Amino acid sequence: MLVLTRRPGESVMVGDDVVVTVLDVRGDVVRLGIKAPRSIQVHREEVYRELQKVNREAASPSDVAVRALSRMLRADVEQQ
Amino acid sequence: MSVATVGHPETTTLPVIDFVAPMPGFPDDRRFVLVRLEDTGMLYALTSVDSAGLRFLVVPPAQFFPDYAPEIDDDALAALGASDASDLLVLLVVTAGDGVQDATVNLMAPIVLDQRSRRAVQLVLGRSGLSVRQKLVAVA
Repeated sequence: MLVLTRRPGESVMVGDDVVVTVLDVRGDVVRLGIKAPRSIQVHREEVYRELQKVNREAASPSDVAVRALSRMLRADVEQQ
Repeated sequence: MSVATVGHPETTTLPVIDFVAPMPGFPDDRRFVLVRLEDTGMLYALTSVDSAGLRFLVVPPAQFFPDYAPEIDDDALAALGASDASDLLVLLVVTAGDGVQDATVNLMAPIVLDQRSRRAVQLVLGRSGLSVRQKLVAVA
């Protein structure tokens, strides 16, 4: 891992167009500002990992599961 | 489309949706088509054009979570090239689970699709406190 020392107001470039700026340091909390192109999504790591996990679980359900869900939703509609 | 054809959707004639950023976990899949699986319009498959066999079940939230109204910020609107919020379609990704009673949806990260530009993004409402695994039950 690359380790750099920065002060508030200073930045780091990642590639050609991602800029990470240290805005503020208070105690054990660091506020970062991140400028990145729209094609690069920026998330807190724990949020990203959770989404990655839930997306992978959701991906490509079996035909059996899809049919069962489809039946359940139709039944719900008919009850209304 | 009848349920019997669910496994073999006719995707060639459907408009391709471009993800402006890939869904977390699927960095190589940006092009999808939206296949309707139900005459009731409650269940769709977001089917990858790039990876054979990859698809996500998605549902429009209204029937299940009538109060669900994610805030779509200006950055997201700009990324989608959305000129009018009424062109936006919001869809929730379903995790089917082992049994139908186990099905959940991801409220924290809805798919937002601009129907005019045909661009989409999985919007991450990181600070919303919304669940990524909310039980899917239709509102009676």
